Amino acid sequence: MTHYAYQTGRETLELEVDYVVVGSGAGGGSAAVTLARGGASVAVVEAGAWRDPEDYPYTLYGAFRDLFDEWGSSVTMGRALSPVLQARTMGGTTVINSAIVVRTPGDIFQLWKDQVGLDDPDMPETIWTYQDQIERELSVCPVPTESMGRSNVLALQAAENLGIEGHVIERSVKGCLGQAQCLQGCRAGRKQSTNVTWIPEVRRRGGTVLSCAPVRRLMHTQGRVQGVEGHFVHPQTRKKGSRFQVRARRAVIVAASVTHSPMILWRSGLKTPALGKGFRAHPGTATLGSFDDPVDMTVGATQGMASTHFRNDPGLKLETLNMPLELIAGRLAGAGKTLMDRVQNYRNLALWVAAVRAQSVGTIRPGIGGKPQVFYTMNKADMLRLRQGSIQLAHLFFAVGAKAIMPGVHGLPYALGPDQIHLLENASLDPRAWTSILTHLFGGCTMGAEAGKSVCDFDGKVHGTEGLYVADASIIPSVLGVNPQHTIMALSRRIATRLMERNL
Amino acid sequence: MTALFAFCLGAVLPPADGLPGAKDCDPSGFLRRLKKESPLVFRLSFYLSAWVLVISPLITVFLPLPAFLLPKSLLDAHVMRMSRSRLYGLRQALLMVKTVAGMCWGADPQVRRALGLKPYGEDPGTWRTD
Repeated sequence: MTHYAYQTGRETLELEVDYVVVGSGAGGGSAAVTLARGGASVAVVEAGAWRDPEDYPYTLYGAFRDLFDEWGSSVTMGRALSPVLQARTMGGTTVINSAIVVRTPGDIFQLWKDQVGLDDPDMPETIWTYQDQIERELSVCPVPTESMGRSNVLALQAAENLGIEGHVIERSVKGCLGQAQCLQGCRAGRKQSTNVTWIPEVRRRGGTVLSCAPVRRLMHTQGRVQGVEGHFVHPQTRKKGSRFQVRARRAVIVAASVTHSPMILWRSGLKTPALGKGFRAHPGTATLGSFDDPVDMTVGATQGMASTHFRNDPGLKLETLNMPLELIAGRLAGAGKTLMDRVQNYRNLALWVAAVRAQSVGTIRPGIGGKPQVFYTMNKADMLRLRQGSIQLAHLFFAVGAKAIMPGVHGLPYALGPDQIHLLENASLDPRAWTSILTHLFGGCTMGAEAGKSVCDFDGKVHGTEGLYVADASIIPSVLGVNPQHTIMALSRRIATRLMERNL
Repeated sequence: MTALFAFCLGAVLPPADGLPGAKDCDPSGFLRRLKKESPLVFRLSFYLSAWVLVISPLITVFLPLPAFLLPKSLLDAHVMRMSRSRLYGLRQALLMVKTVAGMCWGADPQVRRALGLKPYGEDPGTWRTD
C-alpha cells in the first residue's frame, strides 16, 4: 500500500509487519509476493532506489550509476582481480540480467543430498512445481525469432554445424523488441523483472515497500530476531537520511544478495562458523569473433543462444552476449591508435561467452568500510575448464566463417585465425592472463544439515536463531552449471510457503 | 587534476581516421560528473590507475618523463606497451582507464554516428519518490 523512498528528518520511521523481507530481487521478490498472497502483512526493504522502465538509463555510465552495486567496481581479491557484478535497485539483479530461465537440473538435488545432507525427498518435485508457476507468472518464452539478432543466429548455426547442443534461450521477457539493452534495464518494459511484477503486486496486496533503505543491522535479543534497522540513503548524493526501524511480528527474511546477506548477519553479531564461507561462482570469459559482414551487437536479444553440451564434461556453459560499444572499448586488447583501429570494427564483431561450472571456493568478509569483500582464486582445474571454454568458442566462431577470433588472453597474439587454435591450447593457466568476470554467485550463507558447516537449514532458517531466514543465492551450497535466477526464485518461494505453513 | 585525467582518457582512445577520440567527447565535463556521482572506491581506483599511466613511461618506453610530456608517437607506444606489459598491475591500471574512457567515448553521439550506431537518449536519472 505504502512506498517510502528516501526520507529526511530527525524522526525515525517505525513500522511493524508480520514479515520483513530484506532485498527485492529474485529471492526477496519471490518471498515477498508469496507471503503477501498468503495474506500476511509484508514490508520489503530495498537498498536501492525504485526505478521504473522509463527511469532506466540508456548509457553504460547511467547503468553503473543508477543500477549497479558500487558502480560495478567490486572485485575479488586473489591471484587475479575479477569484477563481481550485482545490482542495487528495486528488483535487484533481475533488472540488469538477461532474465534467463533454466530449471534446476535434477543432478543438483542429488549433489545437495550427498554433500550437505539434503533430507527432503520431495524437494525436486516442489521446486519444479514452483518453477512451473513462476514460468506462467513471468511469461517465460523462447526469444522470438524476429528479436534474435545476427550474433544469436550465428551461434545457433555454429552449434548445429559442429553437432553440439545449442538452443534458443528461454527468458522472462514478454514481447522482446531485441534492443540489446538488458544490461541497462529494459526501457521497453518487456523484461519481467521483480520491480515491475512482484513488488507492485506486494503493494497492491497491502504490503509496504521501503526503497533507498540499506539495512544496517538486524534487531535481536536472546537469539530472537525482531526486525531491521538502518538509515535511508539518497540514491544520487549518497547522503544519509532518516533512520528506519521495521519490526517483524513473525520473521525477517534476508535476501540481499550473495555478498550483502552474509554481511548483514555479520554486522548484526550473528556470526556462525560457516558465515561468509562456501562462496562459489560461474567465472566467465568472453571471446570476440570478427566477421566480414556486420553482426551488430546493438540489434537483437542481449542473450539469445546457449549451449549446455559441456555442462557435465568439462563443466561449461556457452552463450552469446551482446555488449555495448562502451564496454567493447575496454574489452578489446591494446590502447591508443591500435585500439581505435580495432574498435572501428565494432559492428562486425560478435561476443560469445564460456562460463565455468567452477569448483573453486572462496570467502566473503567485511572489507573497507564494512563493505563485502570476496576472496576468490580459480584453481588449476577451473582454469583448464576456462581455457577449454575459450577453445570451444573458437571452434564455434570458425564454424560459421569468422575471419579471426580475439580471446583476449595475455601472451597470445591479438587475433587468431582458424589455423592458430593450437596457440589457445597452450595459453597460460595463470588467472592474471585472462579477462574473466564472476557471474552467478552462490554461497556465503549456505544451507545444510549440520549447523557447524552451514548457516541455515533447508527451510532457510538460520541455525541457532529464531525468526531469521535467508532466501537468496547465498543459501545455495554448490554451483548449478546453469543460470541461477529460476532456482533462486523457486527456493525462495518454498521457504516463504513453509514459513507461512508453520507460522500462520 | 581534471585536465590530467582527461589527458589519460584521450591517450587510450585518440582520434583516428575520421573517428573522434575521447578528447573530442568533452572528457572534462564527463570527469566532473564522475567526480560528483561515483562512489569513492570507484573514483580512487580510476585516479590511481590514471596516475600509473602518467608515471610509468620509464617502465614502458624507458624515458623518465610523465606521459603528458611524451611526443604523440611515444605516448601511443607507451599505452600500447602498458597493455602488453608483463606487470599485471600495469595492465589492470590501463584496463581501468580504458573502461572509464570507453564510458565517455562510446556514449558520445558523434562517435556513435561515425560508427553507424543509433545515438543514445539522455539518461533520466530519475526514480520513484512516492
